[in-house]
Amino acid sequence: MARQKSLTTPTLSPNDLAPRTLILDNGAHTLKAGFSSPLTDPAPATPSACHIIPNCIARSTRDRRTYIGPELTTCADYGDLAYRRPVEKGYIVNWEGEKAIWERSFFSKDAHIDGAGLGCDPAETNLILTEAPNAPASLQRNADEMVFEEFGFGAYYRTLGSSLNAYAPSPFPSTTTTVPAGVPLECLLVIDAGYSHTTITPLHHGRPLQTAIRRLEIGGKTLTNRLKELISRTFDVHREDHIVEEIKEDVCYVSRTFPQDLEKTWKGGRYDGRELDTGVVVDYVLPDYEHIKRGFYRPHDAHVNLRNRALGIGTETGRREHVVTLGNERFTVPELVFTPSDIGMQQAGLCHTVLQSVNALPEGLRQAYLANILVVGGTSLLPGFVERLEAELRSAVDEDTVIRVARAEDPVGNVWSGGARLAADEAAVRGVMVTRQEWAENGEGWVRRRFAGKKGR
Amino acid sequence: MATGPLRFRTPHIEELPTAQSRQSAGFAWVAVSTAQDDPAKNWGTTNRKRARASLGGQTEQQKEALSARAQRETERRIKELNNDNSRDVVIEVAKKPGQSAGGGAFKAGKTTGTKKILASGKTFAHYLDDEEAEIARTGRREGEVEAPGAAQRASKTPLARRKAREGSSASNSPAPSAVVAMGPPRVPRAASTYFAAEPMPVDDLDDDGEDSEDQLPCLPTSAEMEALLNTPPLTYNQARAAPPPASMPPPRRFCETCGYWGRARCMKCGAMTCSVVCKDEHDQSKCLKMYA
Repeated sequence: MARQKSLTTPTLSPNDLAPRTLILDNGAHTLKAGFSSPLTDPAPATPSACHIIPNCIARSTRDRRTYIGPELTTCADYGDLAYRRPVEKGYIVNWEGEKAIWERSFFSKDAHIDGAGLGCDPAETNLILTEAPNAPASLQRNADEMVFEEFGFGAYYRTLGSSLNAYAPSPFPSTTTTVPAGVPLECLLVIDAGYSHTTITPLHHGRPLQTAIRRLEIGGKTLTNRLKELISRTFDVHREDHIVEEIKEDVCYVSRTFPQDLEKTWKGGRYDGRELDTGVVVDYVLPDYEHIKRGFYRPHDAHVNLRNRALGIGTETGRREHVVTLGNERFTVPELVFTPSDIGMQQAGLCHTVLQSVNALPEGLRQAYLANILVVGGTSLLPGFVERLEAELRSAVDEDTVIRVARAEDPVGNVWSGGARLAADEAAVRGVMVTRQEWAENGEGWVRRRFAGKKGR
Repeated sequence: MATGPLRFRTPHIEELPTAQSRQSAGFAWVAVSTAQDDPAKNWGTTNRKRARASLGGQTEQQKEALSARAQRETERRIKELNNDNSRDVVIEVAKKPGQSAGGGAFKAGKTTGTKKILASGKTFAHYLDDEEAEIARTGRREGEVEAPGAAQRASKTPLARRKAREGSSASNSPAPSAVVAMGPPRVPRAASTYFAAEPMPVDDLDDDGEDSEDQLPCLPTSAEMEALLNTPPLTYNQARAAPPPASMPPPRRFCETCGYWGRARCMKCGAMTCSVVCKDEHDQSKCLKMYA
């Protein structure tokens, strides 16, 4: 591969790489983006450099505005907000929308936007872009072409989002020896409970074992949509994606004792009515975006007449209050991750999907991966998620098998901080990046093979 | 439990729908058995209405059609749950009037290639279908071929076997078949002394007990590891999680009204309810089947 500098790219430094690297974890729900500039600042970028930007185009029917990406933070009324997401099933599908979001996030200089610190000149920047595993080839090709031809980044590395987790600091307490930046952990089984999917990726020194990657098609949005469906049995929230998402984040939890919890929330039969357990059943007060900006919950009060409250009777200061009572919805919704058959999905739960993945590995490796399970992704923020997973795995394997499950300290930003630590090691970055020069010389097929790990390394 | 036809509760018996799972109009072809099949047996004593209404259907064909329809219905619901975008909205990326800094923001693209990408209205399903069709046509994934570097071909799986594997991905069956998923990793035959000597047990987690005392499973050599790392990625459909093992309990059913255990099935629509209260509510507002 010819690495000579050509006359057409005078801005690049002699080693072909730009001084700054943009690490972009392009999630379906949010972009996690930030710079790492090892030349000016040798320490790995801290998580504070990571901007979390909504990766969607939202249209409000109330103020008739369209919010694109970071503009959504300026939105005052999330009611009735319709979303369009350029990332579908974890892959960037709609580049028209994604381009608009990227432009507002990184390339624009508007001051009111949160990502204002990301004023980015693509030609002077290296890009580390994450993708979901098992991507169709045409989508990978589109991404490569857009990055080089449309945005014109100086150098580019497309990698599995999960694999960057190996570079992040180890979450396991026993391995206190700090690994230098840019050195991946040896064995890691990454469970990425994201917005579109839950993927399971075994990594060996940061490289994925492709035959063992599995995907459970339940993600954060499945849970949100399911909760929307369940709440809408009593109170129509079909168009309130944002509010339902907040409800999910606020009250949903993974139950350790599912049948018992279900009993606690049952109202009983006609003649043998039961007390609801107010420890589980809660009243969620919906935001109205006048007085209540964000919904909140309180223990269920059976004596309150919700209809009167909605009219403003009996509340303090007489304001109207829309209340949704949540009982078993709180834990039957996250239960889908562990038992997808509850909605008739023909896929094994998370625990058995992990075992499917591990069983696809050589026998000698299985123990190493079962003892190094890392959980990342926004859905893993549900309380009890890790504990339940560990308990289920424990009961599914032999007792002399060591099971160790840990959640990353910051499950959302872990991929990004892994990427930042990789970017801090210049030699490692140079080994994986493809410059625009190389793209122009070798073409897209070569670049795709290289990102697939076929050449180099 | 005594009502209805004899049902097998064992999870080993699974009725797979034979009909296409394509979404279509809200009808299904049902083979209607003629009542005059055997006039000698048609005494007019059977409660035909009840037989028709009971969800199992009357004949094998009816049962099949009904379960296929139920399956389609669940598939549709799951698809809806996995929907990324809000329903029924078209949101245009509005052209901002005062766009100065990023002047090229809404130019349709800089090269013909990116213009095409930006203008394409394809969804993920289209890309997936394209790829499956490509695999079905050529027998391999695009980009997996190493045109100049054919020297490294030796370390790859024989093409014939790969063909068989990837042809199966076109089918709708979730994830690789047991052979692919559980079998030994596709490492070169010559190098894999360990794997060639003894085929890996599929359910090794069970029989760990006897071989743990005499020998621990040895780690793969670095050559095997390298071969494993260099295997091409699975396709999207192959990576999907497989159905749960047959030893798992059958799916749980929940009350459609309140979410408690579903204990009684609606004779008309097949939904589950937990109590008379919930059943009443279901009948009043939720049961959409007027005639069954």
